Amino acid sequence: MAIAVPIEYVLGVAMLLFLLGLLGVLVRRNVMFLLMSLEVMMNAAGLAFIAAGARWGVPDGQIMFMFILALAAAEVAVALGLVLQISRRFGTLDIDAANELSG
Amino acid sequence: MQDLLWLIPALPLLGFLVLFATEGRLPDKMVGVIGAGSVGLAALVALVVGLDFHQSGQPSYAQNLWTWMAVGGFAPAVTLYLDDLSLVMTGVITGVGFLIHVFATGYMWQDLDEPSSRDAAPKARKEGYSRFFAYMNLFVFAMLMLVLGDNLLTLFLGWEGVGLCSYLLIGFYHRDAANGYAARKAFVVTRVGDTLMALGLFLLFREIGTLEIQSALAKAGELDAGMATAIGLLLLGGAVGKSAQVPLQTWLPDAMAGPTPVSALIHAATMVTAGVYLIARMKGIYALSETAQLAVAVVGLATLFISSFTALAQTDIKRILAYSTMSQIGYMFMALGVGAWSAAIFHLMTHAFFKALLFLASGSVILALHHEQDIFKMGGLWRKLPVPFYSMLIGSGALVALPWVTSGFFSKDAILLTAYGHGEYGWLFWLGGVAAATMTALYTTRMMVVAFFGETKIEPHDRSRINMWGPLAVLSALSVFGGYLGIGILDDLLGAVDHIPHSHPAAIATMLLPLLGILVGVFVFSGRLDIRALVDSSLGDALRRFWHSGWAFDWVYDHAFVKPFVWAARVNKADAVDFVYRAVAAVTRGFYHIGALTQTGRLRWYAANMTIGLILMFLIVLEML
Repeated sequence: MAIAVPIEYVLGVAMLLFLLGLLGVLVRRNVMFLLMSLEVMMNAAGLAFIAAGARWGVPDGQIMFMFILALAAAEVAVALGLVLQISRRFGTLDIDAANELSG
Repeated sequence: MQDLLWLIPALPLLGFLVLFATEGRLPDKMVGVIGAGSVGLAALVALVVGLDFHQSGQPSYAQNLWTWMAVGGFAPAVTLYLDDLSLVMTGVITGVGFLIHVFATGYMWQDLDEPSSRDAAPKARKEGYSRFFAYMNLFVFAMLMLVLGDNLLTLFLGWEGVGLCSYLLIGFYHRDAANGYAARKAFVVTRVGDTLMALGLFLLFREIGTLEIQSALAKAGELDAGMATAIGLLLLGGAVGKSAQVPLQTWLPDAMAGPTPVSALIHAATMVTAGVYLIARMKGIYALSETAQLAVAVVGLATLFISSFTALAQTDIKRILAYSTMSQIGYMFMALGVGAWSAAIFHLMTHAFFKALLFLASGSVILALHHEQDIFKMGGLWRKLPVPFYSMLIGSGALVALPWVTSGFFSKDAILLTAYGHGEYGWLFWLGGVAAATMTALYTTRMMVVAFFGETKIEPHDRSRINMWGPLAVLSALSVFGGYLGIGILDDLLGAVDHIPHSHPAAIATMLLPLLGILVGVFVFSGRLDIRALVDSSLGDALRRFWHSGWAFDWVYDHAFVKPFVWAARVNKADAVDFVYRAVAAVTRGFYHIGALTQTGRLRWYAANMTIGLILMFLIVLEML
């Protein structure tokens, strides 16, 4: 039998995950960790969708999670290419080194 | 045949377009044929149209070409309007213009061929020849639009067009900076008059609501006296600028920097008489205001008086003729002012004949002497240059108004005798006019005696052919017999001229005083009567220098307008007005620098800002701020 988890708890976890991810994006300088933090943020959004879908008993939330998975896969494919370029060009994975587009 | 009227201005325009488009790539002969031929054809068409118009017996003929623009109720049409006045003007412009163009084919050929000429390089020479005729044709077109336009807007278009051509042709020898200066001076000084004229047109349009000349004159009775005076004076301002009358006359002597045919066509026969045409055309306005009409007469009197004294002290043959042009136009203004409307146009026509003749003949002399214009360096030319000499002699006779044998006599006599009978102070105008006529005789005799008699100083080198002496011969004939042309045709052009009979003592004095002037001139300038002591006295010398400078008008304007303006320009080098625009630019640039600070190129900084922005937006949406 399924134990009904109150939606507030799930949303709370999703928010926590999102904030952790955001904090990671803001404070980490390594590009790899930056990408991982982005993954965490997207999964937090996905978790919120699942919870909402379960709450109202509709499949929309799960469909949205499918989309987020596809988006995440595509993003990683592009981002890893960028990471390779950054490491070749600057010899480091420090994102602050790639600041040539300053005004 | 009257519907061929549009061809008259169209032909010179076509000539201009062809010469302008080919940029001097045509052979010189063809340039000459196009340049002179287009005006010649226009003269032919004008003759046909004029004869047909005369036979039809109608007072006027209008040909509507197209509507210029239609803005609300304001829809000026481009209409050509032919009546006796514009027919005479058209005849003078195309007829005399054609003769001058023919003369110019020879004159400019030799002029640009001179080794001393600044445009001596073959390519520049070719280009100059074509450019000259392009400008001349454009001038004839603009002048024809001026006199044929039925609308004051069309008239103003032609008015500015001839001003532009005048500028271009005065500065024709553009390699010499002084010529460019003369051209700019002519343009700026006439601009003063043109501004006044434009104001007059605005005022007329506000009061009457139309710029169509005929309907405006028909409605002119609605104007109150003060308004009519204001419009009349403002239009007079335009006429004064264009016709080189006091106080805007200073540009004309300097305009002699242009080639001599230009001086003959633009600065003697046609353009400078546009002011006379304007006032004659707007007769209905001046009939309403005695003040404005009196102002016309006073301007004319002042000019003819001042310039005939000035001419006496000049040494440059072209400047002498320029001042004499001013004084003859002064007679025309005086005629308009004293109500001798027809006589003014009559004098305009005869003056076009004899002054064009004088300028062209002096051009031949100047060319034969390799651009020597000082009459005191000439001398003894009458045997060596017979054609120019007899042309000058006939032209001078007409200028002096030798009784009964020259055209100038009939027109000038009509003006002076009408002035005598005009109102209470008419005799004053007559007196001034006769005094100036005597001075005219004196300075003309001086020019002829000094330049053509005495000992030879420079050996002339005459290379003129039929295209140069042909026009001189025709113009000589017109200068002699043109007077009879006017009797009958021109007498009632703008109302009959009502003057005192020829048996009146004043009329006899009018006839004899110029002869006295000639007599004195012959004795003085041939050296039979020694007046050196008088001339060399301190008063004589001061007077001579005063007259030589043109009554110091240039000096006064230089100190009153040019120098203060230059001073203000130097003080205001940074330009106070520009400061506003520079301030706007500086503020914009400041904001740019502030904005650029936020663009660090650091990804995490952008992410943080986006986060802060999002949070702020949430707070606003949730109404927590």
